[in-house]
Amino acid sequence: MNVITHTKAPADAGSTPHFVDPRPFDPGASEPMANEDERYWRASALTLIWWKFKRHRVALASAIVLLVFYAMLPFVEVVAPYPLTKRHGDFLYAPPQPVHLMHEGRFVGPFVYPYSFKFNLDTFTRDYEVDRSTPQPIRFFCKGDTYSFWGLFDASFHLVCAPEGGTMFLAGTDRLGRDVLSRIIYGARISLTVGLLGIAVSFALGLLFGGLAGYLGGWVDNVIQRVIEILRSLPELPLWLALSAALPANWSPLLVFFGITIILGLLDWPGLARAVRSKLLALREEDFVKAAELMGASRARIIGKHLIPNFMSHLIASATLSIPSMILGETALSFLGLGLRPPITSWGVLLNEAQNLASVNLYPWLLAPIAPVVIVVLAFNFMGDGLRDAADPYH
Amino acid sequence: MTRVLNRRELLLQAGATLAVLPLATRALADIALQEAPLFAEQVAAGKLPPIAQRLPKQPFVSDLAANGRVIGKPGGSMTTLIAKLRDVRYLSANAYTRLVGYTDKLVLRPDILSALDNEGNRVFTLRLREGHRWSDGYPFTAEDFRYYWEDIVNNKQLSPAGVPTYMLADGKPPTFEVLDEHTVRYTWATPNPLFLPTMAAPQDPFIYRPAHFLRNYHGKYADKDKLDQLVAKAKVRSWAPLHNRMDSMLENSNPELPTLFPWRAVPASSGARIVFERNPYFHRIDTAGQQLPYVDQVLADVASASLFAAKSNAGEVDFLARGLVMNDIPVLKQGEGAQGYKTLLWRLARGSEVALYPNLTTVDPVWRQLNRDVRFRRALSLAIDRHTINNALLFGLGQEGNNTVREGSALFEPSYRSKWAQHDSAAAAKLLDDVGLAKGSGGIRNLPDGRPAEIVVEVDGDTGLAVDTLELITEFWREVGLKLFIKPQDRTILRNRAYEGQTVMVASQGLDNAIPTAGMVPGELAPVHQDNLAWPRWGQYVETKGTSGEPVDMPEAKKLLEAYTAWLRSTDSAQQAAAWHAMLALHADNQWIIGTVAGALQPIVLRDGLANLPAEALYSWAPTSLLGIYRIDEIFWDRQDRRIAKAP
Amino acid sequence: MIAYIARRLLTMAGTLLIISALVFVIIKLPPGDFLTNQIAELRSQGGEAAATKAAFLIKQYGLDLPVWKQYLVWIGVWPGPNGFSGLLQGDWGWSFEFDRPVNEVVGDTLWLTLLVNIAVLIFVHVVSIPIAIFSAVRQYSWGDYLATFIGYIGLAMPNFLLALILLYYTNRWFGISIGGLYDPQYANAPWSWNKVVSLGQHLIVPTLVIGLSGTAAMIRRMRANLLDELSKQYYVTAKAKGVPPTKALLKYPFRMALNPFVADIGNILPHLVSGSILVSLVLSLPTVGPILLGALRSQDQFLAAFILMFVAILTVIGMLISDLLLAWLDPRIRLGAR
Repeated sequence: MNVITHTKAPADAGSTPHFVDPRPFDPGASEPMANEDERYWRASALTLIWWKFKRHRVALASAIVLLVFYAMLPFVEVVAPYPLTKRHGDFLYAPPQPVHLMHEGRFVGPFVYPYSFKFNLDTFTRDYEVDRSTPQPIRFFCKGDTYSFWGLFDASFHLVCAPEGGTMFLAGTDRLGRDVLSRIIYGARISLTVGLLGIAVSFALGLLFGGLAGYLGGWVDNVIQRVIEILRSLPELPLWLALSAALPANWSPLLVFFGITIILGLLDWPGLARAVRSKLLALREEDFVKAAELMGASRARIIGKHLIPNFMSHLIASATLSIPSMILGETALSFLGLGLRPPITSWGVLLNEAQNLASVNLYPWLLAPIAPVVIVVLAFNFMGDGLRDAADPYH
Repeated sequence: MTRVLNRRELLLQAGATLAVLPLATRALADIALQEAPLFAEQVAAGKLPPIAQRLPKQPFVSDLAANGRVIGKPGGSMTTLIAKLRDVRYLSANAYTRLVGYTDKLVLRPDILSALDNEGNRVFTLRLREGHRWSDGYPFTAEDFRYYWEDIVNNKQLSPAGVPTYMLADGKPPTFEVLDEHTVRYTWATPNPLFLPTMAAPQDPFIYRPAHFLRNYHGKYADKDKLDQLVAKAKVRSWAPLHNRMDSMLENSNPELPTLFPWRAVPASSGARIVFERNPYFHRIDTAGQQLPYVDQVLADVASASLFAAKSNAGEVDFLARGLVMNDIPVLKQGEGAQGYKTLLWRLARGSEVALYPNLTTVDPVWRQLNRDVRFRRALSLAIDRHTINNALLFGLGQEGNNTVREGSALFEPSYRSKWAQHDSAAAAKLLDDVGLAKGSGGIRNLPDGRPAEIVVEVDGDTGLAVDTLELITEFWREVGLKLFIKPQDRTILRNRAYEGQTVMVASQGLDNAIPTAGMVPGELAPVHQDNLAWPRWGQYVETKGTSGEPVDMPEAKKLLEAYTAWLRSTDSAQQAAAWHAMLALHADNQWIIGTVAGALQPIVLRDGLANLPAEALYSWAPTSLLGIYRIDEIFWDRQDRRIAKAP
Repeated sequence: MIAYIARRLLTMAGTLLIISALVFVIIKLPPGDFLTNQIAELRSQGGEAAATKAAFLIKQYGLDLPVWKQYLVWIGVWPGPNGFSGLLQGDWGWSFEFDRPVNEVVGDTLWLTLLVNIAVLIFVHVVSIPIAIFSAVRQYSWGDYLATFIGYIGLAMPNFLLALILLYYTNRWFGISIGGLYDPQYANAPWSWNKVVSLGQHLIVPTLVIGLSGTAAMIRRMRANLLDELSKQYYVTAKAKGVPPTKALLKYPFRMALNPFVADIGNILPHLVSGSILVSLVLSLPTVGPILLGALRSQDQFLAAFILMFVAILTVIGMLISDLLLAWLDPRIRLGAR
């Protein structure tokens, strides 16, 4: 590509002074690139990754789904139709209210039919009867129940609210008459951050140990390799169990939450560390690293400027793939009663409350938290796949 | 019979004899004994003595008809569930075979004993049934009592802690005498009203042990070389732990250990199913001369507790109570028709399903002062909307009110339940104002030292009902300006924190025994046990005899202690009832323990065809001993097809 | 080769030693121990005699010793109250919860655990290999998407709930009794054809549930490996030369793609055990999972430690086997200093 334009040397005999062409060097001058090519060759690695990623439709869709989920987290109070602890004493174990558009053949807009229950003493269930005569339109961008936004100030603005004087339980209610949908939305805040925080811990550890092992080699590498081997030969679940049983039980729920996150992260790093190490070992032999070394670049510069950017995309891809296991880990721990406990609301806690036969055959809507778990885990997996394919833009 | 039952309080009075009921004294000759089919073959083959030789000369005759039951037919097996192997220990509660035990009307009467003389709660003469035998056929005699008293209780190696409390009156042990082969006597210098109720409690103290069997493991009796070999084989340090291991009357874990229960464990049961087979030497018979129990085998399948409802719903159990809870009822009801069983709904006999225990001995000085202010506790109680809790958590079927005894107990008075228990936020707020808790920012009151009034209520994280109740109470208390924080804890840690005075308030179950008779111990009401989380450190002081904890230092609580002491010195049931009433009234007025709702339902799954269990009754640990006082040995299969023994 | 095996065995012993220490530390992390908790519990229920009994055991099992001594006693290099009696001497310890020696408690469950895990391994391979081949050969077809999607659903579904749901419906539709590994009436019965049938029926749900969560990962890796091989020249040449497609696929690329799986035998095990704990718990299977969980919760230390060691040993052996297989396949590993 590097085409040098030679100019004829001056005819002066004797000394030939080193000649430098004063004109600016333009590598593309002799072979001008087409616009498309130009764009491609000039694009940064990040842009290239993005282009490649974009082509992976499912991954892109997943990324958008995740973006929506995470963008919602700061505003769950606004998104959820009801505040977290809002109870409806007259609607215990109420089934979901479907949203209708048409009432008696004419269009009304989104609305629900009200219902009420009779306690059935033979079956010990509440039989709900829907009143199909009065459609109750759902309100949007409305004033509903008051909540405390981030515990800072009180507000009552919601995206969606129950009809005036009515109820709107799109996913039914639980044993205390709390709206399941709202609880799922609030639970997202905990469950989704567990994944991120956990991966941050594991990422930092993985980068550190993998980096040390890969770059320093020798006995450091050996020790770290052994540690990884040992950690991997213990099943992770008992380790979770033991470590979370070791969390002081008098910790506040918030501390427990952080503790769980850190435990999840602590046990996840070996995978990443291995990836970092092998990548480093491979890259160390590459020409551009040799070149930088010969030019006298410092170690820190080589690592920071040349190595890390080179495999960061890979790491991010594999990190993305391990977030779902953290989210599932949280549900598993909470399910075992070793993770978060009510009144903290996470998806794991909700699923734990739903893990009995009654939920499966009498109140199936209590299993609704499965849906977001599956969606998020799938999305992370697809996005991770897409990222991994895109991570190496030059191949 | 009914006449006797109605005079139940008399039975415990000084000089009374807990005599064998008239029917039981009827000469055995009047009843033609019948051999159970299960044993017929063995008897014919000469492997087992015939029934007349297996029964005591005067067996316990159960008059089923008088009790509203029918005479059954022997045979068949019942499947039930346990959550883990250790739970076979609940058989000793359910099978309820005691020296003296409660009837289903809570009358104390002899069971293993033929009679018991009680002189002023001081001198107890126990008469055994002549010819009574252990499940291995060996005679059950006074020697078994002597062995327990002299070789277990008074052996330093086996009982390093010394004589158990229920055997102490004023700190002194009894003198023990063997009067003859079938009579023993315990004599205390001062009254010991704890003795009899402890015999009848769900955890049998077993003041008799199979001496002929355990002797082989006792350093004093066994051949040293043989014992050393056994000790080495069991990999224990000395004969004492080995003896302990063999002696598992309560735990039921050693199938070799002879028993007096209606069923005995069959050795070589696998870890997944424990088989119990009827005891050929059991001492009870029905009026038709059939030996009890009717059911040949009890099969206890081990399954995770979370599957109990599901397995019942799928028709895989014949009989199950423990492990099922109120929330399971809809699922249980749903399976009834298709699977052929019924769900009996009994009442739980607890003082309150969930109660709050403000800690009077907490270390935080501000909270300590506040918790000790009766106005504060009354305000907390008044602010609770018990009706809502009832509707939300107990299908509206519970009883709202204080943590106290229930209707059905002779000691019940309506005011005990209702005093300071009506929902009245305004009155509560006024009381809180009077206490001096002024409202601060956000409508939350401030403590005298300026902190916001945020009450941290700790709760065993495994009890969902308590957490749910607290979520509701959080709302009620917010209305009067108090903030409640729920803090789920591990049970062990919760208890240890309470003992150290770290807890400010705990939510837990109320009175365990809410249907007491005057003769039962009112220990739950008095500041004498550290596991009463309203005053753990007072209780500690009593339990450790003053070495840790702190003495009771509130006048009202001292009154409680006085009443309890009066009970401990009582010689008749009138004194005992007076002590009970004094304590109950003090509790209602002082709200030391704040009750919510009582009377949750206990579902009991019973396969169609199993007869002789009442459709409605009270269920509890104490005093009903789970199903114990309802005599499950009298349950039988009223269906020919189920009476044929199945292979275990 | 012998030198290699010797070296490998030596590292294995070292690894196991470290694991044993780690296991013990983890178990001792939570404050308190089984017996002190038990004593408090018994006292609060009024079981004074039983509490005294428990106090006995504290001395008996050296729970009053410092942790490091307890560890050394446990592995059997320090004289305990009963002399040298630890793992090295074949004494697996005592379970307080069950009040029996550990080997009696775990006896049957060990091989049932193996059975479940082997069933799962077979399931995972039988299901994932054909799907992987299919979706590699038909890359980006609808079938490919569908297969991957189903695999991922298995991965994404919290498997304890899936287990619960399947448990209920297999009972309702096929009459398979709820929980356990066979119908209760076979619990004490000798092995018979019916018992085996019952066992087989009860294995369906756990195998499916535990297996599904591993299938997705397997499909993903197998497919990637195959795709790599399929783009290589020898395959293209073989196809160009007219070798029938099935033969061309199975003869070389498939075998090459299978290689990395050998390396993974050891690693798969811990994951399966983890997965089987949750599922066993829900399904009430008599495997080590629920016992381990109970033991960890109640701090029944010897029982918990033994089970963790058992799993670790299985894994380490699995890794050894896969290393040996690889060394046998690839002389470079055997000879070179990796």
